[in-house]
Amino acid sequence: MLRIPCPHCGARDEAEFSYRGDATVTRPGADGDIAAFHDYLYTRTNPRGWQVEWWQHAAGCRAFLKVLRHTVTHEIRAVVTATGTLEVPPA
Amino acid sequence: MSAPEPTHPLAACATPGRHGAPGDAPLRVTLPRRDMVQVMARRGREDALAEAARAAFGLALPPAGQAAAAPDATAVWIQPGHWLFAAPRGMEGALAARAAAAFAGLAAVADQSHGRTTIAVSGPAARRVLARGCRLDLHPRAFGPGRAAATQIAHVGCLIHQTDEAPVFELTVFATLAEPFFHWLMEAGAQDGVLIE
Repeated sequence: MLRIPCPHCGARDEAEFSYRGDATVTRPGADGDIAAFHDYLYTRTNPRGWQVEWWQHAAGCRAFLKVLRHTVTHEIRAVVTATGTLEVPPA
Repeated sequence: MSAPEPTHPLAACATPGRHGAPGDAPLRVTLPRRDMVQVMARRGREDALAEAARAAFGLALPPAGQAAAAPDATAVWIQPGHWLFAAPRGMEGALAARAAAAFAGLAAVADQSHGRTTIAVSGPAARRVLARGCRLDLHPRAFGPGRAAATQIAHVGCLIHQTDEAPVFELTVFATLAEPFFHWLMEAGAQDGVLIE
């Protein structure tokens, strides 16, 4: 069970959050071709290491948060609000 | 002519009296009737909204995790830019109309009086009983009067607001989930005894 430090609410139990996937993908523009939209929807890197992810604090403040989590150790190093930026540290 | 008072969401299951184990210090449960409105600030108008709240309700909009009380209303922070205003049950829609008039152009106002209901629990057993289902630390060194938090208890979204050192906790839940939540509360309180007033 993870403890996620919500910037609004403080450290909360993982059960209050809903995982919303990779936070680094960006939607192609309206003129993007089908391949670009395919990648946007389905292609994920599945890294072994640090990943920036969306988590929604669904049972708390409802906010979407960006979380820097290590996919092997589950260590959570940083959490910012949706408009913030998180850099993936070198492996 | 006013509409008849709607049936309380817990009318069918909250029978006044002693329940559970006998004892000197039961969990005290009351069902305060409240009007509630959710106030959602328009982007960039938070400062003007805070000013309007001070003028119209005499309270300072609380920051995250806090609640503020005025003589006739309370405001609880529920999410960024959103507050839940509550006042004792009055005329149907009166609180929402008052908030909508005070916050015109600054915030959207949604009446929640029928959508949510408040269960107040108090007494020395309150922290112990809540700890059986609440993941938050409600110990005085971590939580206290004037603090509020949205969380989940027994799979039901629950807004916890500590109003008093006694302690008194006000638990605000969706009205349609109030019954299952109340059943959990009765189960959790059975070994300490519950006094429904």
